[in-house]
Order: sequence, then structure tokens, then C-alpha cells
Amino acid sequence: MKKLHFEYSMEINYAEMVSTCSYTIKCIPQKNNRQIPDNLAIGICPPSNYCLGFDGLHNQQVYGRNDEPHDRFVYKISGDVTVGMALYDEPENDDISMVFKHPHGLNIPGSRIKEYYNSLGVDDISDTYRKALNVMYRFYEDFEYRPNTTDIYTTAEEAFAQGYGVCQDFAHIFIALMHLANIPARYVTGLITGEGASHAWVEVLCEGRWYGLDPTNNKPVFDEHIKLGVGRDANDCMINRGIMRGGGVHTPIIKVSVEEIGKDINDD
Amino acid sequence: MDRLKLLEHTDTVNELLARYGVKFGIYKNNTFHEQLFPFDAIPRVIEADEFDYLEKGLKQRVVALNLFLKDIYSKKQIVKDGVIPEDFIFASSGYMLECEGVTPVKDVYSHISGIDLVKGKDGTWYILEDNLRVPSGASYPMIARDLCRRSSPGTFADLKIEDNRNYAKLLRRTMDNVNVGGHSVILTPGRYNAAYFEHSYLAEQTGAHLVNGSELVVEDDKLYFITASGKKERVGVVYRRISDEYLDPMNFNPESLIGIPHIYDVFRKGNVALMNAPGNGVADDKGIYYFVPKMIKYYLGEDAILNNAPTYLPFYEEDYKYVLDNFDNLVLKDVAEAGGYGVVFGNKMTKQQKSDFLELLKNEPRRFIAQEVIDFQDLDIIDKGEQVPRKADLRAFVLMADEPLVWKSGLTRFSRNPDSFIVNSSQGGGFKDTWVLSR
Repeated sequence: MKKLHFEYSMEINYAEMVSTCSYTIKCIPQKNNRQIPDNLAIGICPPSNYCLGFDGLHNQQVYGRNDEPHDRFVYKISGDVTVGMALYDEPENDDISMVFKHPHGLNIPGSRIKEYYNSLGVDDISDTYRKALNVMYRFYEDFEYRPNTTDIYTTAEEAFAQGYGVCQDFAHIFIALMHLANIPARYVTGLITGEGASHAWVEVLCEGRWYGLDPTNNKPVFDEHIKLGVGRDANDCMINRGIMRGGGVHTPIIKVSVEEIGKDINDD
Repeated sequence: MDRLKLLEHTDTVNELLARYGVKFGIYKNNTFHEQLFPFDAIPRVIEADEFDYLEKGLKQRVVALNLFLKDIYSKKQIVKDGVIPEDFIFASSGYMLECEGVTPVKDVYSHISGIDLVKGKDGTWYILEDNLRVPSGASYPMIARDLCRRSSPGTFADLKIEDNRNYAKLLRRTMDNVNVGGHSVILTPGRYNAAYFEHSYLAEQTGAHLVNGSELVVEDDKLYFITASGKKERVGVVYRRISDEYLDPMNFNPESLIGIPHIYDVFRKGNVALMNAPGNGVADDKGIYYFVPKMIKYYLGEDAILNNAPTYLPFYEEDYKYVLDNFDNLVLKDVAEAGGYGVVFGNKMTKQQKSDFLELLKNEPRRFIAQEVIDFQDLDIIDKGEQVPRKADLRAFVLMADEPLVWKSGLTRFSRNPDSFIVNSSQGGGFKDTWVLSR
């Protein structure tokens, strides 16, 4: 177990005034078998009355609207999360899980991914989790991490065809491979120690438990990851979503920090 | 006889309809055309007994479809029990993940259902299609009846016909049933929408405000209507005539300019009713149509009163074979299309088209359904002064208020082309009034 402190902030400086904006932020870690959040703080500037709610996948969201003209929008979410209490998440109510058996959006496999899956020859591995791990180890060898080579619209098949991409691409391709192996799989957004950006990985369903696998780092998710949201693909759980009137040219600046602030005494 | 007198007034009624702006807008090659929706004065007449039977069957069907929607967006028991394969739910474009776990006010999903039927030559009625998203068309027979009564009052004095001008009352009752407190509004995408006439007409008839997206705003998990003087007043129910995708750019298509940011979040919290509920498309998918009789059995323990047209799902091996063997006798429909698009007749394809289609079918069997071509009854219309038979269907309207209500009328659409079975108004068809006799 580890206790992690995280801070996630986004800042947008607009070239022109914004007369009205609406935002939805999915950046709140929830309690589950693997993690316990604490000391959560939400700050939004200019201040607006935000609401809290859950989306269709039970991801928690912060949303609101700002009608005062502004040329800068900043929000910051911070908190502490104890992680690494289990290797899995075991939801009480999992009526939704069958959704994650079906290819969707950015993770729909094309002929190259299908061909690749068949070449792995993992169909005889009977244990689901071992099969998933096996595919991850092999896939890690065959796909390269290269920043700024894909964008948020890149499909699994496109990324796979070029042979390199970022964590989002690792996750989408891995989900496609899991579907081909008949293993329900879902996209996870979150934060990880030692990185200045948000991260993405995958959860696979094995006997009613969702196990986290991080194909970008070739390892199971344990005590370095803070989970924020899940989806069929990246679009279902985008951390930031917003629309505005006005604004002109602008680029959001996102800052992420995750630091270890203490080990649990039960840990050796 | 006075019925004939009515026919003499056909031109007058059509002129009045044009003057009232009863038009149908369509986009073709990226330009907007408004065309008149031609009215034919010979009504479809349905006897009281026959309509009683339809009414029972329609209520049963819509009740089951509502239970199905509730199930799909919560427990999914019908899928777990193997009655409907998962593929038909989760690969359907009408299934919306955002709607998972959301319970609409009083569990009503489809407040207004437009159920399309045809009557076979042997007198049997068949369901052709369920429309549970934003079915349109009720206003046309309403206003046509009104104009006919004015131009030929005697006709309606002699015959015992159910008055169909009560549709506005039924609609109002449906809105009031789910109103959580506040104004009732009808949300229109604007005057360039195909059914804009209907939006304004229904608003006028029900006393609801006709609004566009920019007149509604979300604040603190509630929905407000901005009045002409700039005041914000709470909205309790929205009869929205905008499709799911465009309703809320923060929850659905982010590019929508006609929607209201966060309106779905307000709905999710039960602070406003949306008619119809988003996500209904999963139940009126042509693939799901096949399963409706099974749904009725599953949820209600009853046999379906109204028949589906005999339908085959190439998804099932046995049906796939049947489709190959009987290709020329079947009509094939793309499950993702609507409005008469994506419909092809096996016997009207060229050799090349057929082999291309079979290839597509082989690769994507779930995408199509095949149906026996029902030889449905013709109805007479007046074409250039002559009485000629044409194919026609009936869109019946079922409203889910505190109880299911079937409107004792309906939109009868006909094909103006003697060789066509496709009656959709977007394909140039016309319409008739539907008279339900009261005895």
C-alpha cells in the first residue's frame, strides 16, 4: 500500500473574451477495492456554482456553466489516495459489464489487429487473467511508445498500423486484443506516479473482478496508479470536456503531479 | 351523399393547408426544400370493432417496449436470460451508454410512440415499424380534419366519426403526467426542421411554449426558460423535437449548436422530464423489431395481439439460409436507416447489385433484416381527377400518460407512385385523414 497525493490542474488563457462556457470534468478518484481517496479539494476560477453527479458508467463528474465574461479559466482538483489494497476492483452491481465485451468507437479492430491476435496463439490458455497478461507481454514487445505521434481521434487500428503511439493507443489496441480473446475489457483514465500528464490503461474482467493492466508500462496496476474513470474507449471518460462562446485561439495547459506521501505502517 | 361533397373540396383543403404552412422540409444535396404534404380527401375508414382490436394490440406493444427500455438501461435481464442476443443491444447505434442507470420520471421512456402498420389483402394488420424517438405526423390529420369540417360540415354531422382534434388534450395529459414542476415547453431545432409546422401547431394546441435551445438554460441542476423580459422560469417538462445526439453537447454530440448544455444532467437527477427519453433508439431499431413479440411474452406473459410482418434475422444461421433461398421474395432493410432509406427489394436488384449485397450480408449479417413482402391493401386516392389505388400505411399514435392512450385516428400515408411500396413523406408521399367510426 502507498499513500499518494495528487494534483490535477487545467488552465486556459483565451486570446479573446469568453462570454459563456460549460464544462464537465471527470477527474475525481472514487473509493473501490484498490483505492481509498481522502481530502479531496475542488477549485474553479472564475468561481461558478458547480454540480456533482455521475455519468452512465458511474464516473463522478463536476460540471457547471460560467456566464460571466472571462479570459482565463482554471480548475484544480487535489487529494490523497491510498492505493494498492488489492489487484482488482470488485463492483457490487455490475449489470453494465456486458457492455465491455463489444468493440466500440476507437477500439474496433481492423484486419491488422485481428491478424496480429491470431499470430499470438494464446487461445489455448484457459486462465483468463494469465491469457490477458500473456497478450500484454507480447504486445509490449511489438508496439513502441512515441509521444506526439497520434491524437485523440486515432483508432486502435491506425495506431497499430504505424507501430507506435501513446498510452491511449496502447490501451485501445489492448482492449481490441482482449475482445478478440473474448475477455471483457475497458478503458481507464487515471494518474500515475512519476509522470507529468494523465495516463490511460485497461481493466479486464476475470471472474467478476476487474483487474488493471497497464500495457504502456507492461505491468499490472497495483500501487502507483490512481483511477479516475472508465469507459468503452477514451471518449466515454475524457477528463475535460467544454464548450465556450468566444475565446479565439487557446491551448489548455494541463499539470499533473502525483507524489508518495507515506507508506502504510502495515507495509514492510 | 355528403361524403362526396368532401371530395369536391379537396383543392380548397390543400390550398388552406398551404396557407397554414403545412409543409414538409427536406434536405437534398445540401439545400433545404420545403414541399407541400399533399392531402387526399378520401379518408381511411376504420370500423369501431377493428380499431378496438388495434388499440388493445398497440397498448400491449408500447407497454412492453417501455419495460424493455427500463430493463436495458438497468438490469438487462432479458439479455441475461438469453431472449435477445447482446449484439443486438450493444452494437446498435440507438443504444446510448450515457443513459445507463438513469430512471426517467415515472419510468416512462416512450411518451409518444408512432407505430406503423399496414393492412394485408386478407384484412390482417401487421406492424411494420416502431418509432419511439421523435415520431412526427400527428398534426397533419388534426389540421386536415379541422379544415374538412369547415369546408364540408355536413359530412361530419351524418357520420359518427371519433373526433381526432383531442390529440392536443392527450398530449397535454402526457406532459402533465411527468411534469416535475414548472413550464411545459416544446423544444424545436427551428424553422428549417422538416416538422417545424408540427412543432408550432402542437405548441399552439397544447398551450406549451415553443422554444429553441438558446431560450433554455441549466443552472444548479435545474432547467430554466428565459422569458422575453429576461426572467428565468423553471421548466418541468420538455417535449423535445431534437434527436438524442443533438440534445446536449456536454453529454452527446459536442458539436451540437441547437442543444442545451447539461440538460441531460438535469434529467439524470430527475429535475426535468424529457419526452421522449433519450436512448429509446435501442428499442425501435429494425433488428430489435424482430424481438418485440418475444418481449411481450417475456415481460407481460401474453401473446402479441398484433403481428409483425414475417421477419428473418440473417444473424441466425437458419434465417440466413432462408434469406439466400428466398431472396427474390424478400425485402431487405438496413437496421440503422430510417425514413424509407436503406430498403431494397430482392427482385428489383440487378445481378451485380445482388452479388454485392450478398457479400455485404455475409460480412455483416447483423446489419440487415429480411421480410416477406406483404401485399398490403391499396387505398383509393384522387389523382388528376381520377380515383386510383395506391399503397398506404397507417401511423398510429400511442401516448403513455398515467395510462396508455391510443389516439383514435392516425396518419395514413400513401405512395403517389403506383409502383412503389414506400410511403414516407420524405420520399414524396401524401397523406389522408384516418376516420375511426364510433359505432
